[in-house]
Amino acid sequence: MPGFDFSNHNRNAALHAQGVPLPKATSTGTTIVGCLFDGGVVIAADTRATSGPIVADKNCEKLHYIAPQIWCAGAGTAADTEFTTALISSNLELHSLSTGRKPRVVTCMTLLKQHLFRYQGYIGAYLVVAGVDPTGSHLFTVHAHGSTDKLPYVTMGSGSLAAMSVFESSWKTGIDRDAAVKLCAEAIMAGIFNDLGSGSNVDVCVITADKTTLLRNYIKPNEREKKKRNYKFARGTTAVLNEKIITREQISKYITVHELEDETVTAAAEKMDVDT
Amino acid sequence: MVGKDCVAIACDLRLGLQALTVSNNFPKIFSYGDVYLGLTGLATDVSTVADLFRYKVNMYRLREERQISPQTMANLVSSSLYERRFGPYFVSPVIAGINHTTGKPFICGFDSIGCIDFAKDFIVSGTASDQLFGTCEGLWEPDLGPEDLFETVSQALLNAVDRDALSGWGAHVYIIEKDKVTKRLLKGRQD
Amino acid sequence: MADRYSFSLTTFSPSGKLVQIEYALNAVNQGVTSLGIKATNGIVLATEKKSSSPLIDSQSSSKVSLITPNIGMVYSGMGPDYRILVDKARKVSHTGYKRIYNEYPPTRILVQDVARVMQEATQSGGVRPYGVSLLIAGWDDGIEPEAEAKDVDEPEAEKKLASGKTGGILKGGPSLYQVDPSGSYFPWKATAIGKSATSAKTFLEKRYTEGLELEDAIHIALLTLKETIEGEMNGETVEIGIVGPPEDRLLGYEGVEGAVGPRFRKLSPQEVEDYLTNL
Repeated sequence: MPGFDFSNHNRNAALHAQGVPLPKATSTGTTIVGCLFDGGVVIAADTRATSGPIVADKNCEKLHYIAPQIWCAGAGTAADTEFTTALISSNLELHSLSTGRKPRVVTCMTLLKQHLFRYQGYIGAYLVVAGVDPTGSHLFTVHAHGSTDKLPYVTMGSGSLAAMSVFESSWKTGIDRDAAVKLCAEAIMAGIFNDLGSGSNVDVCVITADKTTLLRNYIKPNEREKKKRNYKFARGTTAVLNEKIITREQISKYITVHELEDETVTAAAEKMDVDT
Repeated sequence: MVGKDCVAIACDLRLGLQALTVSNNFPKIFSYGDVYLGLTGLATDVSTVADLFRYKVNMYRLREERQISPQTMANLVSSSLYERRFGPYFVSPVIAGINHTTGKPFICGFDSIGCIDFAKDFIVSGTASDQLFGTCEGLWEPDLGPEDLFETVSQALLNAVDRDALSGWGAHVYIIEKDKVTKRLLKGRQD
Repeated sequence: MADRYSFSLTTFSPSGKLVQIEYALNAVNQGVTSLGIKATNGIVLATEKKSSSPLIDSQSSSKVSLITPNIGMVYSGMGPDYRILVDKARKVSHTGYKRIYNEYPPTRILVQDVARVMQEATQSGGVRPYGVSLLIAGWDDGIEPEAEAKDVDEPEAEKKLASGKTGGILKGGPSLYQVDPSGSYFPWKATAIGKSATSAKTFLEKRYTEGLELEDAIHIALLTLKETIEGEMNGETVEIGIVGPPEDRLLGYEGVEGAVGPRFRKLSPQEVEDYLTNL
């Protein structure tokens, strides 16, 4: 990603001025948390992605890989958290190969904050960075504007208040691994059930000095009941005007050939409805 | 929509300018070898993006001497859309296809800036997406064969667009299997 | 007056040579021998690590490098030039591929990218060609040779053509390439570069058989190296990199669906020592 392409920006602004609604970006909504424990660190997240009030993805992944022993939980604009962590992961991997050392969590956090600060908050990524490196276990939060915090337990996203209430009432110093996993999972559950932007399952990632364990769908408190009967339609229900079967051989033959249809079709589209 | 060893992708055929219908034959599904891309949104961007990916996929095929897999295509679409994070195309794409190395069906959807939604069941997009969420959530079930999947996806689409003033005017449905694709034109309301 | 054409490397001599490229090859041919052997289930890259003085701390330098989790590289020629190419190869595998497709480049694509870097140095002003030849070994996911042999049995030739299986790149499995300072590259079953390349290749021609296993290939690699090596052979003086089965223990994390470990890794001095004692 050498940089962003702004060439549609003016057009989109003009379109917006004419009343075309801007497309809605998928947001993670989200409850994400992290907690240090004796010998490592654990982060956890819910798995709901939203687009306005609509649940866009019921089981998305908000725990992102940065390096084998550095993982990141993301809240905010889903695409931003995805690509920001992927970019920093890529840079950190190259850095680690050229230095021949394991990447450090502070390095990761610094790269993230510098990147986000450069974009002045327009990249809407709110992250919890956690990991273990040769200097120990670390836990940070990074805000979209570039500010960072270093704390023993953190929460972020729309469900952060619900999650923090769990930490503030139950967290104790010198917590061990199992207790930390349990505490984080409960904090996420508080988000899932009390915050509308968060929902579905609990993902957990435990990082210790010798290994990282991703516990995808660690708790599934919202399993949908299997349909007792089905709504299968009898074959032939749908009225078909025309049917064409294309075999695989034919596909590769005609692959680059696109029939040009009525040229006026494309010319007429000056202003079209935009989806939200 | 995902079925058993098959996937379906379907679209309506309307091209509109707000409430004025301009065309009733504007397909929104494009083929890139083994992968099918559905595009909804601003028509100019639908055409631009479809052609952009035709170029990118052709270049990929020339360089690598192989067809692009649905998963690779998904990441290509994602990174291409995110490049325009601050001046996006007004489209929300859907990908469907079968991975010919693994033989597994694959679908995914995107928002306009490239966030991928990997779903195991179905993806919806467009002006009727709210209605489609309802019909698909109600009608979809796992392991539908190609014929049953066709009925399910067609009914889900037709019933959703009938409650959307901005969609309709017939539909195209592709049922993608390992070594064949069946394209059907549906009879839909013309109002 | 061949020297008249030796100043500017972008000027052809009347006989059609670019003498700077030939000089670069001379530099390679003075370099320490490196070799690579492709097996059915992997590839071995091997080289001698020469130290000019017993005072050198041999642990802090390395000649076999990981480029992507499934691709490794070794060289003969000038070390400093090689390290530049390693950095560029790693970088281009991310910027030109992983950041677009979210997967690492197939071996041939990476080889072409590295070859382009080396070719540009033969046609640009103010630079000299890279004084190295490379051996690049990698494993690609996809249809592996055995699986494809089955497809050949299909009677309809047309069907095969239409399936798009035309290029060699569709074949998954191991591949071994050599890249020269000119930017030309060659696929090999087994080859050697550097000072004793000719004699090593003659030796490999005798020893190489189809259907070789990785363990046999490592054995042959060490035998070939033994023919050409001047000093003592031990874990410190021999460097080996292998492309083998995925090593999930090297992944560093668990629980990620579909994640597989890296296939390329360097053998530790102890592992090399073990192979040498069994020679």
